[in-house]
Amino acid sequence: MGMSGKSLRLEGLTKRYGAVTAVDRLDLTILPGIIFGLLGPNGAGKTTTLEMIEGLRRPDEGRIWLGDIDLIRRPAEAKRRFGVQLQTSAFFELLTVKETLELFHSLYSHPLNVGDLIRRMDLEEKRNARVGGLSGGQRQRLALAVALVNDPDVVFLDEPSAGLDPQARRNLWEVVLGLKAEGRTVVLTTHYMDEAEVLADRLAIMDHGRVLDEGAPRELIARHLPAAVIEVDRSTGIAGDADLPALVRIEEREEVTALVTRSLEDTLTGLVAWANEHGRQLTGLKTRSATLEDVFLELTGRSLRE
Amino acid sequence: MKPVITLLGSLLRQTVRNRQGLFWTLFFPVVLMIVFSLLGNTQNRVNLAIVAPTPTSSAVVRIVEHSPFFHIRTMRRQAALNAVRSGRLDAALLVPAAPQSRTTTLVLRYNPANSLSAQQAVGAVQALVAQADLALSGRPPRFRVQATPLVHARASTYLDFLLPGVLALMTMQNSLFGIGSGLTRWKEKGILRRFRVTPLRPLQFLGAAILNYLLVGLASSAIIIGFATSLLHASVDVPLGPVALVLLLGMGCFLAFGFIVAGVSRSQEATIPIINLISFPMMFLSGVFFPVSSLPKILTHIVDYFPLTYVSGALRGLMSGQLTWHDAAFRGDLLGMAVWLAVAGVVAARVWRWE
Repeated sequence: MGMSGKSLRLEGLTKRYGAVTAVDRLDLTILPGIIFGLLGPNGAGKTTTLEMIEGLRRPDEGRIWLGDIDLIRRPAEAKRRFGVQLQTSAFFELLTVKETLELFHSLYSHPLNVGDLIRRMDLEEKRNARVGGLSGGQRQRLALAVALVNDPDVVFLDEPSAGLDPQARRNLWEVVLGLKAEGRTVVLTTHYMDEAEVLADRLAIMDHGRVLDEGAPRELIARHLPAAVIEVDRSTGIAGDADLPALVRIEEREEVTALVTRSLEDTLTGLVAWANEHGRQLTGLKTRSATLEDVFLELTGRSLRE
Repeated sequence: MKPVITLLGSLLRQTVRNRQGLFWTLFFPVVLMIVFSLLGNTQNRVNLAIVAPTPTSSAVVRIVEHSPFFHIRTMRRQAALNAVRSGRLDAALLVPAAPQSRTTTLVLRYNPANSLSAQQAVGAVQALVAQADLALSGRPPRFRVQATPLVHARASTYLDFLLPGVLALMTMQNSLFGIGSGLTRWKEKGILRRFRVTPLRPLQFLGAAILNYLLVGLASSAIIIGFATSLLHASVDVPLGPVALVLLLGMGCFLAFGFIVAGVSRSQEATIPIINLISFPMMFLSGVFFPVSSLPKILTHIVDYFPLTYVSGALRGLMSGQLTWHDAAFRGDLLGMAVWLAVAGVVAARVWRWE
């Protein structure tokens, strides 16, 4: 069981592929027992960062510490203590769920019981089914079970809910929260905002191989977007026209124009005045608090799904 | 050691459950041998047409007819010559209508394109005619050859020749495809990466994969030998130790080639042309279907050093009873394979990539 109390520290971590710097002097401390999220668009360097920590890639520069253990010098420690779910977790298609877990079970010195893992991941019905015949959600649960077989201190989940239906995602979130309750540290990458908001105790927003900002989700929102967002239909034609009080930024998002504001009251008052003056209807008017998506746009200038 | 054994068990299970893969591993050699054993049965006799326009020449016909070495038919002159010219028959024996003055000339027209059967035909007909000559002259022969078939003797069929070739071919194909294509697929799908984040050492993984292919290779060779000897009645020697050694060394060579292929290929599709490039020349030149010695001299200087030539040569020598453990030629073959294994192994280690 976790509770090792060791924090994971990245110091100046750098990885280059030719002229491209995938990860650029990354510093990060991940405290034990929390769920830490790495948020960023494709190509931000999340997966490369995880792969360096997991020992799959050797960093060009920098250090990785688990407590006082230098993981670059002693990669075996990482392999022993980490549980990893890769972005594309493939297993031998013709082995059964049980056989697959038994295979990985045999690779560790203090593994968890295979039957318990199968029960825990709700795979009992599929115990003797071949891996090739599993659904996406079942494969994901198997990958998680394999990631837990060594009773890891730190669990890495790379895009764990990619391709899952909403129900399967909810189930996954419960499992992840359960891991934290057991005292394990969870490091996950995602580009789903709701997932990051629900799960992560702390978040690092990454782009171009660097951490743009780091903190608790609420903290990040408060720091970058003190107030709220007003949305109206794009057909109102507000964009590019209005000079509204307290306005931070105007964004066109498909059907909707979003007005990001420091003060909901001031901007809203201004908006109503503008509509009266120009004889426009404020169709689809809505206000909401800022979300991580807005923070992300604020920080990177692009949408997460881009 | 325990992880390697568990992994080996998993890989063997995976291999045995891959029905389609197993089918193709065994199907091709089996079909090949069945086809050639059916063709091979008529190959030993000389196909001879006799053109005998009158019954007076029937004395010759009668003698030739009773020979076990000929497959005889009587034909008209033009039809017989056409059949020989087009290769359907080996030779046509033209018997004159009436005995000539002192010596009667029998004309044998043969097709020089098929030199082996032509030679056989000419030799056999000459022998028979000499015999007939003696018989007709009434003089007692000064020498006589008594030809007595040996009890339990076997006919060396083409299948006997083919079987070691097929085993060599399987050794090459299974190893090249197993590692070259199979491992590339695992690499592509991320199975290798999954093991790299466990404490299993890379060499342990590769060791288990290699052991898997060696065991599967030995087992499928045993099945093919069993099939050929019991159902197709191939008669070959199988000295277990030396044959297994050759198979293992041969597989070692081609597994190393497979690692090179997997090392330089980014995708599984990319492995197929590379594997064909390696295997096609050897499949046809390295003594699988016909002996290397029947190739043009200049080519044999190269083909003699192909890895598959060593494998097929050693296996054929052992299985035809011409080579044993103690023969220098056999040891030469083993050395050839060992050198290839070492060279390919070093290259493989250099080009191998985990990603």
